[in-house]
Amino acid sequence: MKQIIYTEWLKVKTYRTFWAMLLLALIIIPAANFLGADKLSGQQFKQVSKMFGNPFSFPDIWLTMASMNSYMSLLFGLLLIILVTNEYTYRTNRQNVIDGWERRDFVYAKLFWLLAISVTTLLVATISATLVGVIYGEKSFSLEGYQYMLYYFLQLNVMLTIALLISVLVKRAGLAIVLFIAYNIMVDQLLSSVLKKYVGAIGGLLPLQSGDEILPWPMFGKMIGSDNQYDTYVYVTVMFAYITLGIYLVFRKILKSDL
Amino acid sequence: MPILSLKNVSKKYGPVQALSDISFDVPAGSVFGVLGPNGSGKTTLLGIVTDVLKADTGSFTLFDKAPTGRERRQIGTLLETPNFYHYLSGYKNLEIAAAIKHRDKEDIGRVLDICGLTQRQHSPFKTYSLGMKQRLALASVLLGDPDVLILDEPTNGLDPSGIAEVRSLVRKLADSGKTIILASHLLDEVEKVCTHVAIIRSGKLLLSGAVNEVISRNDFVELSAADNNALKAALLQYPGCTNAEVSGEIVKAFFAVPPDAAAINSYCAQRGIWLNHLQRRKKSLETAFLEITNHATS
Repeated sequence: MKQIIYTEWLKVKTYRTFWAMLLLALIIIPAANFLGADKLSGQQFKQVSKMFGNPFSFPDIWLTMASMNSYMSLLFGLLLIILVTNEYTYRTNRQNVIDGWERRDFVYAKLFWLLAISVTTLLVATISATLVGVIYGEKSFSLEGYQYMLYYFLQLNVMLTIALLISVLVKRAGLAIVLFIAYNIMVDQLLSSVLKKYVGAIGGLLPLQSGDEILPWPMFGKMIGSDNQYDTYVYVTVMFAYITLGIYLVFRKILKSDL
Repeated sequence: MPILSLKNVSKKYGPVQALSDISFDVPAGSVFGVLGPNGSGKTTLLGIVTDVLKADTGSFTLFDKAPTGRERRQIGTLLETPNFYHYLSGYKNLEIAAAIKHRDKEDIGRVLDICGLTQRQHSPFKTYSLGMKQRLALASVLLGDPDVLILDEPTNGLDPSGIAEVRSLVRKLADSGKTIILASHLLDEVEKVCTHVAIIRSGKLLLSGAVNEVISRNDFVELSAADNNALKAALLQYPGCTNAEVSGEIVKAFFAVPPDAAAINSYCAQRGIWLNHLQRRKKSLETAFLEITNHATS
C-alpha cells in the first residue's frame, strides 16, 4: 500500500489543477462557516437565538457546521472524478497494470484518494467549526454533538463513492462530471421528494438524502420536527451499505472488464 | 522454460471473433515475431498477456507461473500507444513507471540517454512530438534492463532515422540474449531479427515456431545474360531447377534444394551462355508471409 500511495503522490505532486481544486474546496469550508456565522450573528438574529439557542455555540455548532458543509461537498467529488478519469483519458490505467500493478491496486489507489480527501475535509471542517464556535459562540469548547460531523463525514464518503463509481463506469471526465452534478443537485433530491410524498419515509433513504435526513438545519429542524423519519441508526446503516455497494461495483467493473 | 505459454486463448468483441483458440510458446532467448496484418488480433493478444484485456476462454503463463503483477514487472512492455501523464515531464513519468515496476530511479538517466531524450527530459509530455512520445515509451520499456521485452509496433510514429535506431536497438537487445516479443505488420522490421514467429490472420493462428522450420524461404538465384530467354531455357534443364522466369532485365531461377552458384555458372558457360549477373537470394519474409496468408484465405 505504501508503494501505491507513493506512486499516487508522484502523479499529483506537481499537478496544478489538483492542488488548485483541493485548495479551493478546502478554503470554501472555513470561508462559508465564518461568513455564515458573521451574517447570522447580527442583532435581529439574536432574538431568534433567544428562542432556539445560539447555533454557533457548542454543542450546536457541530450540527450547524456539518449541515452547512454538506452543501459544499460537490467540489470534492469533482476533484476525485478528475483524478480517476485522467487515468482513462491518458490510458495510464492500462499502463499502470502493464507495468506491474494488479487491477485491484488501481482500485486501492483511488480508494486512497477517496479516504484522503474525506479525512482531510473532516479535519479542516473540525478546525473551522471549532474556531467559529470559539469566536461566535457563547459556551466553552465541547465535543458533545460531534457525531453530526461524523454523519457529514459519512455523507461525504457516500458522495465520493458515487463520484468514483460514475468515473469508472463512464470513463470520460466531461460526461462523468455532468452526471455527478445532475445526481447531486437534482436527481437524488427529486426522487427523494417524490418517494416521500407518495410512498413515505423510505424516500429519505436515497444515498445523499440519508445524510441530509440526519443533518437538518438546526433552527428549521427543531421547528419542523421529525415525524416522517426513521431512527438515526437506520440512515447511518444505509449510508454504510451504499458505500459498500459502491466500492463492490467499482471492484467488479475494474477486475472483470477490459481496461 | 517458455517465457510465455498460451493455451487455447479466445476473445470476442461483440459479434467479432478477435482471437480464436490461440496456442503457442515463446522460448527463452528467442526473438519472437507476432506477425499479421492490421486488425489481425496482435494487440488483442498482447493486451491479454499484459492483463489489460480479459480472454473469454483459455489461459496463459508467464515464466511458467500464473501471471500476476510480479511477472509483468519483469517485462518491459510497449503496447499500442505511449500512455503517459500529459501534464508531467518525461522524467517524472518515468519516475512513476519505475515506482510501479519496483526499479531504481537511478536508471532513468541511462534509458533517457539511450532513447535520445536527455535534453527534453524535463519538458511536459504534452509538448513532445509523436516520435518523442514513442521514444519515451521505449525508455520506459528499458527501465531496469528487463530480460524480457514486449514491443507492439515499436517504430510507430518515428521518422526514418528513428526507425533505423530502434531496429538497431532491437538487434542489440536480441544479441545480448534478451527475449523479445515483437508484434508488427512491417515485415522487414522483424525479418532480420526474428528467430521465431507466430502468424495471425483474422484472429486465427496460421502457424508458429522457429522461422526456418515453419516458413519455407527457399533460396533462388537471380541471373542475367545477353539472351535471357536462352538463359531461362537452359536453366529449366538444370538438375533441381523447379522454375525459371524472366523478370525485367533478370531471370529468376528456383530450386528444390539450395543452389550452388559456381556450378550454375559453370553449367551456363558450358552451354555458351556468359553470365553478366549472378546472385543467390532468399525469398523475403514478406513474400513468404503473403503466400501463407493468401493460402489461408483461399
